[in-house]
Order: sequence, then C-alpha cells, then structure tokens
Amino acid sequence: MIAHADTIDNGACLRADVCVVGGGAAGISLALALSGQGLSIILLESGRMGEDAATQALYAGEVADERLHSPADKYRQRRLGGSTATWGGRSMPFDPIDFETRSQVPHSGWPISYEDLLPFYPQANALSEAGRFAYDADEALGAAAPPMVRGFTSEVVRTNGLERFSCPTNFGQRYERRLRVAPDIQVLLGANCIAIGLEADGRSVRDVSVATLAGRRFRVAARATVLAMGGLETARLLLASRDVAPRGVGNEHDVVGRYYMCHIAGNVGTLVFNGRPQDVRHGYEITPEGIYCRRRLAVAATEQRRHGLANCVARLHFSRITDPRHRNGVLSGLFLSRKFISYEYGKRLHDGTDPTPGVYARHLWNVISDPVDTAAFLVHWATRRTLAQRKFPSVILRNRTNRFSLEMHGEQIPRADSRVTLTGKVDALGMPRLHIDWRYSPEDIASMDGTLQLIAQELERSGTGRLDYDRATLEEDLLRFGAYGGHHIGTARMGTDPRTSVVDADCRVHSVDNLFVAGSAAFPTSSQANPTLTLIALSLRLARHLAGRLAPRQAAHVHGAAP
Amino acid sequence: MRVLVLGGSGYVGSRLCALLRDSGWATPVCASSRRTSTGVESVRVDTRDPAAMADALRGIDAVVNCVAGNASAIGEGARVLTRAALAAGCRRLVHLSSMSVYGTAEGRIDESRAIDGAPGWYARAKCEAEEHVAAFAAQGGAAVVLRPGCVWGPGSELWVGRIARFLQARRLGDLGVAGDGWSNLVHVDDVGQAVLAALRGTDARPGVRAYNLAGPDSPRWNEYFVDLALAIGATPVRRLPALQLRLDAMLAGPPLKVAEILGRRWPGGARFMPPPMPPNLLGLWERHLHLDASRAERELQLHWTPYAVALQQSAAWFLQQRRGSLPDVPVLRGGDSPT
Repeated sequence: MIAHADTIDNGACLRADVCVVGGGAAGISLALALSGQGLSIILLESGRMGEDAATQALYAGEVADERLHSPADKYRQRRLGGSTATWGGRSMPFDPIDFETRSQVPHSGWPISYEDLLPFYPQANALSEAGRFAYDADEALGAAAPPMVRGFTSEVVRTNGLERFSCPTNFGQRYERRLRVAPDIQVLLGANCIAIGLEADGRSVRDVSVATLAGRRFRVAARATVLAMGGLETARLLLASRDVAPRGVGNEHDVVGRYYMCHIAGNVGTLVFNGRPQDVRHGYEITPEGIYCRRRLAVAATEQRRHGLANCVARLHFSRITDPRHRNGVLSGLFLSRKFISYEYGKRLHDGTDPTPGVYARHLWNVISDPVDTAAFLVHWATRRTLAQRKFPSVILRNRTNRFSLEMHGEQIPRADSRVTLTGKVDALGMPRLHIDWRYSPEDIASMDGTLQLIAQELERSGTGRLDYDRATLEEDLLRFGAYGGHHIGTARMGTDPRTSVVDADCRVHSVDNLFVAGSAAFPTSSQANPTLTLIALSLRLARHLAGRLAPRQAAHVHGAAP
Repeated sequence: MRVLVLGGSGYVGSRLCALLRDSGWATPVCASSRRTSTGVESVRVDTRDPAAMADALRGIDAVVNCVAGNASAIGEGARVLTRAALAAGCRRLVHLSSMSVYGTAEGRIDESRAIDGAPGWYARAKCEAEEHVAAFAAQGGAAVVLRPGCVWGPGSELWVGRIARFLQARRLGDLGVAGDGWSNLVHVDDVGQAVLAALRGTDARPGVRAYNLAGPDSPRWNEYFVDLALAIGATPVRRLPALQLRLDAMLAGPPLKVAEILGRRWPGGARFMPPPMPPNLLGLWERHLHLDASRAERELQLHWTPYAVALQQSAAWFLQQRRGSLPDVPVLRGGDSPT
C-alpha cells in the first residue's frame, strides 16, 4: 500500500521487519524483491509522486568549487522513483576488472567479485526495462550485425561491447501499482528520515526518526534498516546522527563521506575515419526485444593491467556544440534552444564562455542553411523521443564527413580527501546541510591520456582512421563541465577493513549490526559504467541476504517456537 | 469409469477426452452442443435441456463440466446439469470454473478468497455456476471446482494464436504498466492432469473443494508478449503507448468486430480482416491478480509444465499452423475469456 506520512499518528512507533529509507531505484528494487517472503517492509520516501519544490529544497547544500561539481540539489529528485524521474537510462553492468584490486588504482578492490553480482544483473535489467542481460554485440544483435568500424579489429581496443538503454523507466510510475498491491509493503510518502537512533551501546539501530514538512513526527523500529538515499544523502544522514556515536553512525574511523567519486567525462580530439561514412556505425541499434543499444570503444582488461590504466570507455560523438564551426544545423539548433533544456541535460551546452552576438548569428545561419537535416531531425526527435514511450536515447547526427570527437567516460581513482561533510546550516527539518568537496587526481587525466594513445595507436595500426587530440588541453577538455553530474559514488564504501570502508560485503555497516546501505554509496570504485544498473543489482543481492537473515526467526514465529 | 465430458469439443474438453482415453482407467464420453468428436464416444447435447441431460447421464460415473459459451450456457447449464446428475445418481462432478470468479481482486490469491464475480457477465455466470455446484455438493454430491488462469499451449487460439497475430501486426508488444499484470498462464495438459487427479480423488465424499490452476512460473503479460514475439520472430518488439492500445480496442474495435461477423458469412472471409482487440483484455493485462496454485500442486500432485517448454511448444504450433500444414485446428475456445 502507499499512504502519506501525515496519516501516521504523531509520536507513533511503527514496527516492521525491514525499514527501507529512500524510494528510488535502489529502495524500490529492494522492497519489491523482499516482498512475498513473509516479511513486513516499510519504505520511507521523502517526496510524493511528483516533484515538490519544498521537498526538493531539502537537498540544498554547498559546493566547494562550483566549476567542478554541480549544486547539491541538481541531478536528483526527491519523489517516489527518485532520480529515475530524470535519468538518461544508460544501463551498464560493471566489468569484472572493476572488482579487482589493481595496483594502478589505489584503494581499489571490492570484497565481492563480478561473479557474486552476476546472478542479480538479469533481474536488474528487467526492472530497468533494458532487455536481456547481453552486452556483447554478437550475442545481443547476432553475428551479422554491422561492426562499429568496418576493417577495424583489435585485441587492445574492443568495439563489440554494447551499452543498453532503459526507456528511461521512471521507477515511481512504473512500479507504483506493484507497491500498492503488495500486502507486505507499506510505502509512506512525505516521510523524511531525520535521524538514525542507535541503542545505548551503539551496536544496533533502535529506530529511525521520521518528520514530515507539515510537522508530524514518528519513528520506525525495524529488525533491519536499509539506507537507500543516494550517494550524498546516505552520508548526510549517517554523519548527522550523532546522539550515540559522536562522529556519526558508522564513522568511527572517519570514512563516511570520504572517497567520494563521480566520473571523469568529456569530449576530446578529432577522429577521422578513412573509409566510407556508411562503414562506420556511430548510432543506435535495436535488439530483437526492442532495446536501443550502441557500441563503444573500450580498452581490454589485459591491456588496462599492462599499461596501468583505469577503466574507461569512449563513444563516437559529434564535435563541440557551442562552437558554430561545425556548421551543423541540428547542433546549432540545440545551442539556440538551450534555455529551454533542463539544467541536467543543457549543462554541456553552456561551456562557461558568454557567446557573442556573432556566435549566435553563426549558429542561426547554420540552422537556416541546413533546413533539410534540421527538419528531418525534428521529425525523428518528435516521433522517436518526445512521443515515444521507449525514447531514442540521445542526439545522433547523420555521418556525412566521417569526422567525430570521442566522448570519454571513465572511473576516477578514489581519494580520501574527495568528500562530503556537514555544514553548520540546517534545512527546514533541522538537518545539517551538505558541503561537497569533489576532487580528482592527475592520474585520472594521465589514464585517459593513456587510453586515448592506445585508441590512436590501434586506429593507425589498422589503417582505419586517425585520432588527434591536444595533450596540453586534455585536462581542460575533461573538466570543462566538472564532474559528470548525477553519479554520486563511494561515500559509504564497501570493504573488509573498517579503517578504510563503511560497510562489509553484505552492505552492512561495520559497527552496527542491523544497518545496511543500498545504492552507489557502497561502491568502492566507480567503473566506466553508469551506476544505476549495478546499484539495482547490489540491492537485489542485499534483498536476498536480508531475506535469509530475517527469515529463520519468521519461520520460528509461524510455528510458535520463538518468544 | 465412464466420464461424461461436457464441452468435450472445446480446447480443454477435447484435450481432456484424449487424456482420459489414454489413461487406461477411464472411458470418456464427449458431449458437445456443436459437433461430435472423432476417436472417442460422443453425444450431442445442450446442457440447458433437462431431458437430453438425463439421457446423456445414463450409465455415467462422473461428469466433467467444461462448457463454454454465453451466460446462459454457463449459468443455466450448470443448474440443469447438477440437478440432472443428482436425479441420475451421478454424484461425482469436476467443474471448470475460472479465475474471473475473483472479480477485481488483486495480489496473491488463494482459494480462501471469497468469490464476487463483478464486473462482467462472464464472471457473474461463472459465479452462478459455482453456486449450483455448491448446491449439488450440499445435497450429497462430491464436487471439485477448478479455477484456471489463462489456459494455453499448442492449439490455443485465445492465448497463443490471437496474441501472436497481434504481435506480428505490432498491435501488441511491451505495454509497460498496462501489461504488468500476471498472466496466470496454465498449460492445457496441466488442466487435464488436474481433472484426472480430481476424478481419481473424489471417492464420492460429499462436499466441494476448489483449486486454482496457474503455472507457478507463469510470468507477467509483458514478459510473455516479448518471449512469444521473440519465439515467432515478430521482432523488434515495440514498446506501445497505452493510448495506442486503448484506441485500438475502443475506436477500431467495434468496426472490426462488425467486419469479423460479416466476414464469417463468406467462406474464408474472416481471414482477411484484422481481428478486433477485445477491450476486456486491456483490463486483464494490467490486473495484478496472482493466482496461488500451491493447493493444487500439493493435493492433486501436479507437475506443472515449465513455462519455457509451454512457450516453445506454443510458438512451434503457431508457426506450423501459419505454414498451413495443420488444416483443422481443434478447438477455438478455452481459458478465462468470454471473447
């Protein structure tokens, strides 16, 4: 069932087997996976079904350097479904190498392996509506599917890996009815968790405190509590709960909020292919089950180890939109309409410089002088994206010149000094606001450089094309828009050593027996992949762990043997 | 044991007659109002005709009621049948009901759930029939009521043939929220096995016992649509907006229905018209009713046909039928639908 938290009696204490805090992709997946196993579940969601400005304002915080990180309330949504209300839908599993302890990536290594997570990925794909769990082009599209670049084969730089796209599915809308129908799930909307209350010995959660914007207060006491609030809010709540643990819950070793990661991403260089434009596939394919997917360039794991590179992918992309020299009507149209595009999706249309009237005029000329392409694009966009339920994932231009840039997306090396902390200011519910100090390392840029060199080398070796990029401006190219928005990772990282991690391999907070973290906060490293699919898979794995952990007592209850 | 199978020429009934014939312990008598079947002893009978029923019940040890049709055939037919059976001293009855007796209920539903039957004539008729069966049991009859979900398998026009053609025409696909309901698909052979188990088990103990029937691994509708589309090559599967589905059923539906009826008057005429999309299916596909069939599995010792096996058989049947090598497909009715 779904109810509003204002219907709960003031001062009440609700009881459940599992309390899930946060109704986004992680929380909804977890609750649905726990359903039907004899457990009672309460899911606390701060927002409602749609956007609510007062609730969204609870996110507000400070950012150390606004050029490096977007404001704390951007790329996130406080509503049922969380940020899946606005996500792009790219649904990628992590690679086996992401879980390894790698000398080239300090602080790397997960306490679980790819194989531990693998059984949960197919269900994560199903929940994301991203089709089958098949990420090899031959497997997903058939061996007859055209290659990315005809004539390019390389054991160093692979092009048979796919990325798949969700609709993008809004988990709140998509799974609302499942949540309503489930007799063992109680979803409370408008329910803001403002404190984790520990028992006096600090070793278990007694209850969590809930507040609504209308002023109602109650508690939820559960046998297991799961924080599924996203990479920033999870750390915020842990740090802000200081009644029993003076440094914050799970923060005995000052790890909560540290090792904060996003992704290093940007458009780099000029790639010119030698062959005919029709021999290059830079756009989307559709799998038999109807999913948009696309090939990318990726350095093979063995080569990453050999050359000491972090994990990264590259996609064929068009040139910089803001620069009218591309003479493309569609891109100029995007530039001119940037005021109407949301912050999250328009960010890369604003590169910090103030365009002169001359630049506007040249963009306008591009649109006027390229009417056929512009009109064809608009029709395609309207039918395949605006009106479609499964949306064409991004702008793809007709390849006329065989000239591209590379859109890079890679992991960053975890750093203890990249962190979120609490400020002295509080929000409407009295919760301390966040201070975000995201940092990256010179090694991140050097690793991207190494990846680009390998791609250039393999293109040259195969004679299929040529990649030119300016090493002197590489850092600027990659950081022009700061950290890639929306991927908040690592603030309650998983590990075996409490001095360098917050949760264990079961996502349980080291020092608290019944407190768990779901979501990308628990990732120790960030991978080349977008985090959503993996955080869903990790939540499903956590659901299985919780069901096993909580079920025996339940069974005993049924037979009347337990007190 | 002589078993009278009412509705014996239907999808479930004809399969059941074959299973009984091969069982070695039962002799089926196929009763149908429409046509007689080949290979088994058969009689033509309208279940609403008391005299004909009394005739048909002579020498019969047990009755299986698989009658489909309109509200009167289902409801009134059950009343006449149960009275005639009591009068004839035939006290063993297996009655095929439907999950539609649970009305609009959602969630996991077992047999303890009260039946309500609203909305729709079909559900009301099925509830009325169950009431007559209960009255039969109260007067000393031993009855088993089976409540299957959607009965499918090779030969199922309703849940394979029709769906497959909608998929090929891209009028069906992944429906999102509109196809998130449970399919409750159950293989026709599993229904047959349940009837056989019920016949062997009802040792004339008076009373009535109900069993839900649905494959425990039967998926949600969306998953079935995608799987069937892949199996018959109706790819790439499209994600359909709910609006398209509603327009198809509500706007295009009535004229297509008229065309279908007119088309029947000319030999082969119906083949060239696209079939109408029945509006009641839209409600079925989005309904989160999940039949709990664990009682049937436990007490009738059913071994369910795995979903993947049933899917493969069904797709193979459809493709073979398309190639035209199956001239006479038995049975065009079955499962939970009046359409």
